[in-house]
Amino acid sequence: MIETTAAPFPTIRVRPWLGRLAVASSLIATFMALVWAPTDAVQGDVYRIIYVHVPLAWLAYLAFFVVFLASLGWLWTKRPWFDALAVASAEVGVLFTGMFIVAGSIWAKPTWGVWWTWDPRLVTTAIMFMMYVGYLLLRSLSTDFSRRATRAAVIGVIAVIDIPIVHLSVLWMNSLHQLPTVLRAGGSPSLDAAMGMTLGICVVAFTLVYFAFLAERMSIELDRQRRMLEARA
Amino acid sequence: MIENLGFIVAAYVVVWGGIALYLISLRRRRDRAQRPRN
Repeated sequence: MIETTAAPFPTIRVRPWLGRLAVASSLIATFMALVWAPTDAVQGDVYRIIYVHVPLAWLAYLAFFVVFLASLGWLWTKRPWFDALAVASAEVGVLFTGMFIVAGSIWAKPTWGVWWTWDPRLVTTAIMFMMYVGYLLLRSLSTDFSRRATRAAVIGVIAVIDIPIVHLSVLWMNSLHQLPTVLRAGGSPSLDAAMGMTLGICVVAFTLVYFAFLAERMSIELDRQRRMLEARA
Repeated sequence: MIENLGFIVAAYVVVWGGIALYLISLRRRRDRAQRPRN
């Protein structure tokens, strides 16, 4: 028996505040990234792309890990709420991963001299992007809600394996891409304090944008589920 | 003159432009969902 959730998550009172907070923190983060943070001694100002590239990378990991947890939740409980969470997070994750690849490519041109190279980090990220695009496409193949959610959840559980592969690919293989700067094993972030603070604010701002999008997209999905079940009844 | 300014602007336009377009897409889907059906 499939039941729909009566109260969409998060409640209507939380969502506008989340949106406002996301906009305010994004404005502060962009000012800090483009104006306040010091110029890098080696790369000059082009390094400022890090302030969008790294938060998007972190959110790609987070979004797809949420898909994994939500997929487990669906397989365990069969509650549609988990399926709505999974599809919402996957969609936002695909958006952020796409922008993270494009921003990285724009940064690569002035620093590496090429827009794209077959580097392990780039290739594993592109595979991760395609896996979750495939996940979203798979969902459109079946009209049976339960079957579609179960198939998608299986993919959501398997695909999470690519997250550590993407992150650790620069350590496992020879790579043109720099080593992890923030999430380093056995060491503090290798960043100047002002740069680190700016990056931290940018990560917070993008995380708020992610949760604002997630809440909105989930609400649309729960409405869609409810209408679908009402039409069937 | 800031070096590589075009690359910096391009990266920020792609990211914030993408976020703005997705926001518009969500609003349109929300409006469509709330429109009464015939």
